[in-house]
Amino acid sequence: MFKRLFKNAPAWIGGAETPAPVALRIGIPRMFAYYIYPALWETFFKDLGMVPVVSGRSTMQTVRLGAQISETEHCLPNKLFDAHLAELVGQVDRVFVPRVLSTIKDHLSCPKFGPLPDAARAGIARDAVVLSVDIDETKTPLVETLHRLGRLLHTPRDRAAAAAEHGLSAMRAAHARMAAPLGRKGGPRFLLIGHPYVLHDDFLAGPVVQKLARMEAEVHRISFGDEAPAKSHILWSTSNKIFHKINSLAPGEYAGVIQLTVFNCGCDSMLIDTFRRAMKEKGVPYMHLMVDEHLSQSGMDTRIEAFLDSLAWAR
Amino acid sequence: MTQIAIPNIGNYTVALATAVESLGIKPWASTATTPEALKLGTEAAPESVCLPLKAHLGHFIAADRAGVEYALMVNSVGTCRLRYYRHMIEQILKDLGLKIRIFGLGFDGFKPPLVRHFDPGPITFLKPLFHAGEQIRAIDEMETLAWKTRPIELAHGETTRVMNKLLLELSRCRTLAESRAVRRTTASRFATIAVDRSKKPLKVGLVGEVSFLRDKCLNKNIEYLLGDQGIEVKNFFSLGEELRNIARIVLLNKNRGRELLDIADRYLQTTVGGHALDSVAHSIRCAELGYDGMVHLAPCGCMPEVGVRPILKRVSQDKDIPILELSFDEHTCDVGITTRLEAFADVLRERRRKRAAVGVS
Repeated sequence: MFKRLFKNAPAWIGGAETPAPVALRIGIPRMFAYYIYPALWETFFKDLGMVPVVSGRSTMQTVRLGAQISETEHCLPNKLFDAHLAELVGQVDRVFVPRVLSTIKDHLSCPKFGPLPDAARAGIARDAVVLSVDIDETKTPLVETLHRLGRLLHTPRDRAAAAAEHGLSAMRAAHARMAAPLGRKGGPRFLLIGHPYVLHDDFLAGPVVQKLARMEAEVHRISFGDEAPAKSHILWSTSNKIFHKINSLAPGEYAGVIQLTVFNCGCDSMLIDTFRRAMKEKGVPYMHLMVDEHLSQSGMDTRIEAFLDSLAWAR
Repeated sequence: MTQIAIPNIGNYTVALATAVESLGIKPWASTATTPEALKLGTEAAPESVCLPLKAHLGHFIAADRAGVEYALMVNSVGTCRLRYYRHMIEQILKDLGLKIRIFGLGFDGFKPPLVRHFDPGPITFLKPLFHAGEQIRAIDEMETLAWKTRPIELAHGETTRVMNKLLLELSRCRTLAESRAVRRTTASRFATIAVDRSKKPLKVGLVGEVSFLRDKCLNKNIEYLLGDQGIEVKNFFSLGEELRNIARIVLLNKNRGRELLDIADRYLQTTVGGHALDSVAHSIRCAELGYDGMVHLAPCGCMPEVGVRPILKRVSQDKDIPILELSFDEHTCDVGITTRLEAFADVLRERRRKRAAVGVS
């Protein structure tokens, strides 16, 4: 009876043994926000004493699953996102789907990111608890958004602040890591441009990067870690960063620029034309490759080989 | 006389043309994109851009070929591709070596570049604004009546005939008073159409992307197709409502978006962009108002509208309202749309019959 009376009291005054709190398992789909803010989420959640669970790398199976369960007219990354999300549902206590409205001050994100958490709740993750936070850097800096996320998870203020600090430094390191060139050092240098979640995804960019590396090229992927780009008519943040980067290329810096795009990407459909024009003015060889669900490696290989061959002739 | 091409926004083009005409410029417009213009646009535009851009571009190319010097286009400040339309269209027209010059309309201060260029006096500037406002009001009234009358008309095509006649009269009005007179006769003119009042037509709401809700060529005349099958439609894009919203934002700093967010509450907590929030909110509201179904129209790959489609599916399940999702691209054929709409109408009719049998209202 005595024990029952002090059920919630600490053990030293005779209360029941409080079970050690089970760490919350938070699922992070390996798409969109995972690549836009690399390493941030895992570090942040881990520091808060939770267990981050990142979905597996994209494979052909992921694509197949995405094609089955996702909205037919979504762009390919969005289908992959749905597949990654489905992989996590049932495995974790919360799935983390932030609403990325803007990643750079006075810029906008792809309009598809806005309804993402709502769409997850409505469809794929309807049986799971969706953890979401609005990331709108036009209004709130990322640090404060992280603090808010900490409050949502009922963590002490100072702990969340420390986790945010650690997470952001981990993100900066990850950005630097992701910008490191691949392939053979000293080979002809190629710049891969495209959205971060395209360039670093195993299914979408993997084959292209590998092929270029096999052909002894030095592959640089555009980095999204550096400062905010100059303002232009483009308000989509990633697109403006790409635009800024290709506008500020030094002559002869790269042997060629390869734009990697995905089927049904709205941003790219509008801006590839602008990028091509800018590259033409600069006289930099430019090619755009579109990845879709039906990936046969040979088609991609042929185009890359032809591109590299034609550059070799030009030299 | 200077000519200016006006984008096609369905019957509202009549009102825009009137406003432009009062500035002493000759409007070049039609109430629907022509298939030829669409073809021109499809050929000139990058292949994966959305269909409204191709329609706009084609319209301007056709205008240039007809010797029109200027064109008018709505500026957007939204999140979707519409924002980049003008920039892209100007680039493409330049590449094609066309001389047509495009003016943006709206969000450019009180005096849009068009007005700055032609610089009419304040009275010549304000008068057409009020006149166009009156015409938009008249067109809204006409459309509302046409949606209600068409499914129950006795003589096939009578509503369309009356509607077209009224629009023609409206387009000939030169003064505000004349337009107002036409507007006042609207109700009585529609009342002359012989109808079967005992019919209880199915009610369907149209939501989705603006150009598809309004451009009769792009949407394959969906209002007519549905009305013809005995379905009363309500189109959720009304220019009058849109302008009132802009006025509210400017004057009272109040956005209709907030109301819609309240309605969409659990389902969608952001405005997305375009009219995606409207699509979700109106679908929920229509389910509560007892509509029989919804039709969601969007160009293939439309960023905001496709983004909310999973949400619409959930709304459809939760609120028990069938939602037909139609995507359009340049290959969409009107026969395909007709077939799908007929099938949809059959489903709705059957559903209503079954519900009546088990006594669900």
